[in-house]
Amino acid sequence: MSWLRIKAIARRQSYVVKRAPQRWFDVVVWPVVDAVLFGSIGVYFARSSAPRSHQLAYLLVGIVLFHVIFQAEVSLATGFLEETWSRNLLNLLVTPLREVEFVAGVVLFGTLKMVAAVSVVSGVAALAFAFHITDVGLGLIPLMAILVVVGWSLALVVIGIVLRVGQGADILTWGGIALLMPLSGVFYPVNALPGPLQPLAKVLPTTHVFAAARTVISGGSLPLGQVVVAAAGSVVLSALSVAFVLQMLATFRQRGYITRHT
Amino acid sequence: MADAVLQARGLVKQYKRVRAVDGVDLDVAVGERVALLGPNGAGKTTTLLMLLGVVTPDHGWVEIAGHRLPKHRSQAAAEVGFAAGYLPLPERVRVREFLRMFGQLYGLADPMPEVERGLARFGIAELSEAMGNELSSGQRTLVGIIKATLHHPRLLILDEPTASLDPDVALRVRTGLEALCADEGTALLVTSHNMVEVGRLCERVVFISDGRVVANGTPASVAAEFGRDDLEGVFLHLAEGGR
Repeated sequence: MSWLRIKAIARRQSYVVKRAPQRWFDVVVWPVVDAVLFGSIGVYFARSSAPRSHQLAYLLVGIVLFHVIFQAEVSLATGFLEETWSRNLLNLLVTPLREVEFVAGVVLFGTLKMVAAVSVVSGVAALAFAFHITDVGLGLIPLMAILVVVGWSLALVVIGIVLRVGQGADILTWGGIALLMPLSGVFYPVNALPGPLQPLAKVLPTTHVFAAARTVISGGSLPLGQVVVAAAGSVVLSALSVAFVLQMLATFRQRGYITRHT
Repeated sequence: MADAVLQARGLVKQYKRVRAVDGVDLDVAVGERVALLGPNGAGKTTTLLMLLGVVTPDHGWVEIAGHRLPKHRSQAAAEVGFAAGYLPLPERVRVREFLRMFGQLYGLADPMPEVERGLARFGIAELSEAMGNELSSGQRTLVGIIKATLHHPRLLILDEPTASLDPDVALRVRTGLEALCADEGTALLVTSHNMVEVGRLCERVVFISDGRVVANGTPASVAAEFGRDDLEGVFLHLAEGGR
């Protein structure tokens, strides 16, 4: 064993963390996400007077719907990232392919993946826990549609950031959505979150989707007001994300960042 | 140039403190074979990327087959094929799958006959079912060139197509390109550090140094202009900072 060689390797690792802020996700962001998520779940169950069957249903409707946004986001973002990982981006950029055609192609296949994954998680929930996502009724359609739009919007933001700062930012594909999970109250109402986070949670369209689903699962009717707020938020978010990715694409071409991917 | 397939005027690209390209004019005529030469860092690849519409010039303009970039980039791209010796093939994709995808991106409804013709032209028909990560660098280069020519482009742009290839594979690349240009009248714009190959393949050379065109003519006339015996001598002269 050589202490000198061990130090050399450790120092090399420190360079990576020091110069790639996204690596701090492992050190800071994941622990914060886990603490807030599980802490808030605990707070909710400690305070809740809802029947046990409702509590279980809240968790399961949350995880099934979360997979809609997760699959929408990850399939679009990784569809782009696959081309950077395989250094195929330049090959694509020199063809007549238009950006919107690329996105449409990735979304087309991603939708199939999303349907498969959501079917699996719904199937397990039904078989193992007798929870049927279809109990949400027709309200499921607008709720899922909003989540898909938000998922695609987040993916465009991730793609924009990767275009701007390089492939190292790919961790945001999973990191961004992980941040959204506790903030959106996937498994609990917003008031279970720590106080300072609650205003932030309330402006997220996803928060209103999960809250609306819980209302229906508890036996209430679909809260249309909440659905409208969520839909409007998703429209605003998608417009901003499209503007952002187009701006990042222009910067990518302006600064010649393609050389990072060849 | 009346019969130009490529026209570029006054191309400028500044990267932070480095002026990578500084007022490059370039023309390639229909069916012409042109080499873009220069030492490392001269601005060749940045110039090619601007010609392809992947990098936006700070100043100047590019027109391919009458289509002005960036507004008509998609139409222009349909007239161009591009391959680079340094680009790998994606893993988990077979050669024929890779080529079929790019044939479709270039607008071929049924690209497989062209795929088979291209594989045969470059003598690698047996690689049709191979996975991208199973190919040697020479085989990857050949597949890349086939990819770039499936749609019968009017202009083929190649960046270092024979870099790090064995002489026999480099010969196969050159022979295939000569046949392609002769059969289809494809114009060629190629960068290379192999001056012997350039002398054999191209009828005109454009030397770039410090982002500027410093010579433009036949290989013999450029060598004579610099008082050298051949292109290798011109290259070494420029690489050592000469003008």
